[in-house]
Amino acid sequence: MRSQEFALMFVLAFAVSVAAHHSAIAEYDLAKPVKVNGIVTRVEWSNPHIWFYVDVKNVDGSVTNWGFSGGAPGVLQRRGVSRTSMKPGDEVVVQGYRAKDGSFNGSGDTVTFPDGRRVFTAMEGLQPQK
Amino acid sequence: MKKLMFLLVVAMAAIVSAQGPAKSTVIPRTADGKPDFSGMWDNPKVPGTNRIPTTFDKSKFPALKQGGEAFFEPRTGDARHDEPRAFCMPSGFPSAFLGPYPVQMIQNAKTLVMITEFMRITRIIPIDGRPHQADIEPTYYGDPVGKWEGDTLVIDTTHFKRWSLDDNYYANPKEYRMHSDAFHTVERLTRVDAGTIKYDFTVDDPKIFTAPWTEHWEFKQHPEWEKTGLYEMVCNENNRCPGGQCTKP
Repeated sequence: MRSQEFALMFVLAFAVSVAAHHSAIAEYDLAKPVKVNGIVTRVEWSNPHIWFYVDVKNVDGSVTNWGFSGGAPGVLQRRGVSRTSMKPGDEVVVQGYRAKDGSFNGSGDTVTFPDGRRVFTAMEGLQPQK
Repeated sequence: MKKLMFLLVVAMAAIVSAQGPAKSTVIPRTADGKPDFSGMWDNPKVPGTNRIPTTFDKSKFPALKQGGEAFFEPRTGDARHDEPRAFCMPSGFPSAFLGPYPVQMIQNAKTLVMITEFMRITRIIPIDGRPHQADIEPTYYGDPVGKWEGDTLVIDTTHFKRWSLDDNYYANPKEYRMHSDAFHTVERLTRVDAGTIKYDFTVDDPKIFTAPWTEHWEFKQHPEWEKTGLYEMVCNENNRCPGGQCTKP
């Protein structure tokens, strides 16, 4: 197993809290969990949280571009997660919580790849979904 | 007899080996002989735990004074009140230094500088025994001054604005803790071995509590973080959803 993959699994194992600059409770609605399957279109490796965007195909055939936030880049880098851990074109399943304004944005709790790897974690204060 | 002595030495060597390398009690010192806290440290934690963020233990809180209930200010549902940092407002001290980010310390004979990666917040602490400034405005991070008591550095901080005490609302979304503008902290830093700072933190808030109380935390050193140093952390770079109100990408 490559060391980076091990690091990613390590991150998952401690998925309850990774650095955030604020409490996600104030921003995301814990009563509105989301789970989407789609293709990564963009990764913003920037502070205070990384953001990544996923094209999700709806039942009617239309496509919605969802945005998800993750941890702070520095904290993720120190744990072996880099800006290339998830790339545009990757197929992912994202679980998280929807933004309070009801837009197609949320907190990216976990990201699962087709080979079973799961990366990135909840912002602080959010419990990982089972 | 020689054979017995040989066996004894072998047995003692085996015992020492089984215990692993001894923890170094030799601590680095500055040119003036004071303990040197310079280095990369994890945020203060309860010894033997890895829970983040570190928060104050409610079971240690002394009785509240009359009117001290303002300490537990209810959350309102308005993110500007409940979590000002969502809008890149400051964490304040000590909250910012208890979160899950490294703290770099840089020390010379007159000054200890503590920088947390979180928003690169910096405390510049005179350690030459000077008194507090007089007639200064209250701030989010207060006015810290340090003095030595033997090998222990004692940092006394006053002149705070009323603000969040800690990050407890990560653990308890219904509870918010606001220290008063009479908030006063005393930190005692003792480097007990090469990789550990014993960190006793006393909270004194006479508008809220009937007595001060002390947490016994520690900093653990991480030399492996020296290579990259602190990462940049600019809150306004891409703060896309302040308060859950998102802009279009």
